[in-house]
Formats: sequence, C-alpha cells, structure tokens
Amino acid sequence: MLRGAMGGRTAVESVVGAAVRPMTSLVNWAVLGLVIERASYGYELVKRFERKFGDVLALSSESHIYTALNELARRGLVEQAPAQPALPADVGRQPRPHYHATADGERRYEEWLIAQIHQDERRSRLFVRQLSVLAHDPDAALHVVERYEQACLEGSRDAPIASRDDSCEDARGELIARLISEESRLVGEAMLAWVEYARTELEALARDRGGSR
Amino acid sequence: MSLLELERVSKRRESGAAGRVALREVCLELEPGELVVVWGRRRSGRSTLLRVAAGLEAPDTGVVRFTGHDLAGRAGQALRGGIGHCSTVFRPDDGRCVVDQVMLGLIARGLSPSAGMEGALGALERAGVAECAQLRPGELDGGEAARVAIARSLALRPSLLVIDEPTLGVDLLARDGILLLLRSIADEGMAVLASTGETTGLAGADRALSLGDGQLRGTLSPRLAPVVPLRGPVRPRASA
Repeated sequence: MLRGAMGGRTAVESVVGAAVRPMTSLVNWAVLGLVIERASYGYELVKRFERKFGDVLALSSESHIYTALNELARRGLVEQAPAQPALPADVGRQPRPHYHATADGERRYEEWLIAQIHQDERRSRLFVRQLSVLAHDPDAALHVVERYEQACLEGSRDAPIASRDDSCEDARGELIARLISEESRLVGEAMLAWVEYARTELEALARDRGGSR
Repeated sequence: MSLLELERVSKRRESGAAGRVALREVCLELEPGELVVVWGRRRSGRSTLLRVAAGLEAPDTGVVRFTGHDLAGRAGQALRGGIGHCSTVFRPDDGRCVVDQVMLGLIARGLSPSAGMEGALGALERAGVAECAQLRPGELDGGEAARVAIARSLALRPSLLVIDEPTLGVDLLARDGILLLLRSIADEGMAVLASTGETTGLAGADRALSLGDGQLRGTLSPRLAPVVPLRGPVRPRASA
C-alpha cells in the first residue's frame, strides 16, 4: 500500500474519501445547474455561466469550467453525452464533448438547493448571536443595527429590475429574473422588519440602562 | 450648489392630542439626474418629507432651497414651477378623459389648446400610456394610473420630479415598468425624489434612504458617505 505522501492514507482511501466529501464549491453547483438546464459543452457553459451567475460568482479563468466539469464527472453528477452529429458549420472541427446531468446529479442538485435555506437560517442566527454580545452596550448594538439597515436598503436598491436583466434570452429567462428579483426584495423587506424590531428592543434596553444608572 | 437642498428641516404633525415629530433636523441634497428613494413605514413622515421638499408645505424650522433659492415666501411660488409633485392616486372624476386631465396644467400655463394637446400626448407617450389618452381615469388600472400621474407632471417639464409612492397599488408585473420609467427619467437628466413603503420600490435608485422616528438616514448627499450616526444616549420617546 502507498502511504506517506497522502498523509498516511492509502491511495484508494484517499480517492474514496475525496468522493464522499461534500462538494462545497459554489461554482461547481452552478455549473451542475447549467448542465441540468440543458446538455452543453465547455465554451457555451462559460458564456452561460457569465450571463446567469456573473454578478454573484466569478470564474478564475475559462478553464475553471473544465475543472468543475471534471469534478462533477468524478462524482458521477454529470457525464459526457454521445458525440453530437456534426452540423454543416462544424465540418473540419473537433467534435465538442457535451455534458449532461445524471439522475443522481439532478437529485443531489435539488437536495443542495433545499439545504441552502438552512444555510441562510444558520447565517441569520449566527448574526443575531454575534450581535447579542454587544447587548451590554445597547448604543453600540444600535449602531450595528443602523449599519445593517443601510446594507439592507442598499441590497434592495441594487436588486435587478426584472425586465432590465440582459440575461433574459426568452420567456423562461424573464420568469427566472422576476423570481430572483422578487425573492431578493422580499428578503430585504423581512430584514428591515427585523431591524425595526431590534431597534425598538435595543432602544428600550438603552433607556432602562440609562434610568438605572 | 445642489438642485434641491434641505437644511436641518423639522416639521411637526398635529395629529392626535400630542402631535408627533414627522421630520427632525433632516438634511438632504439632490443633483440633476439622480433618482433618490426614501423608504419608511406607514406614518414615518415620508409623504410630509416629499411635500416639504416640493415646497407644498413649509417646514417649522430649517430651510428648503431649490436651485439655491429659499422656497419659503413669494419667490418660492415661481420656483415651484420647476418642481413637479406627483401623487399616483390619480382618480379625478370630473368627466374629463385622460389626455384632457394631462393638458390642464399646460393650459393653465397659457398654452393654446392645440399646443396643450400636443404636449399632453407627448407626455403620455413618454410615460408609456399613449393608448390610454381617451380613457376615463376610472378605467385605468393601478399601473396605468401611476404612469398617467407621472405624465401629468412630465408635461410641465420640471427639473425635479417629486413622486409619492409610485408603485403603491401597482401589481407585480407592472411595478418594474414604473421603476424603469423613473430610472430612465433620471437618466435623461431630471432629478427624481420618490418615497416608498416597500423595499420593492428602491430598485434602480442611485441612493436608498430610510426615514424613521423623524430621522433621515443613508447617503444624504451624493458627495458624502452614508450617514450612520454614532449614537449618543437614546432619547426618551416622550420627547418626540
């Protein structure tokens, strides 16, 4: 057995271990989503990635897509499709390897999407817990809440206006743009409602502290 | 010199026995081509802010300047010609059709009926509701009514458009069109100051401000960083 270079694990253990590790790369999940949307090849995926995710995710280079595809294929989430029949315009060119999602890839993608909701809840709880360490100084906590409110307002301000979204290729694209727009705005609305509540509570706490001094 | 400048403006509303402070030493600057939207809850004072900014109400204390001149007093009446104040609750029921409603302001300014009609139709076209020209106001849906109200202000070619809750009562699909219209109006060089009770109305703005407890927060001038006041001791509410 080969040991040493792999931190004491065997080569097989290393490969198996890597395969079961959760896939944390947001780029990989985004690429999987694009392949689920339709079977595609590398260059087209780069372009679609930039249109759909360019404002929230960055590719380190065009080859990043191929790294993602290799990882997805290694995990059995995508596979190469049989060679596409050559179009007249493609005569003389290398056939482009197309990728499509496996059934497991589609299932895992759906599970990952749902898990993101819990990630958001976790982040929200974490923020509130971290803010609570300032409860001994309500004025400092209020200052954080004020800044949080500004960040929420700026998020709503920067939310895309659906029909201005250049990535809309068709009616489905417009629908997606509207869904994204509405989700981000309603989340902003909820965050501001929380800010109002937190401000009321913290101001009451500050008054109590002031009165008891 | 800013196009619009509010300097330490305060205003008290005498609603209820005690009254309440709607605006507390509010400062704001607006430049041509800017779209600034003020978000606030119900009764936060956002409509009061807009009426004061448009010169329709005088502040209790503080100064409102438009093109560098105080809006208070007689000179302010002439200056107000450069400000269009627009409420999107547009439901007049006097028998006139939409185009006649829009041309009223132009006729009042001395334009001939034909020139008034031309100006009104152009404004309706600009606001994307040319097809509503011959309808009665009662026949308009929420989105159309908002656009007609905007057209009525645009017809007078103001350099500042002050618009209260442009997306109130407008359905989801029509709402983004209104926001795009306001954005395009600002992009053409007009300053736009709008209010909203929903964060949905903030999209596309250059600056998003909040109004609560009489205080305006955010980037109060295009030349300044956001204002997040370092708080001193919290004031008791009874002093409001």
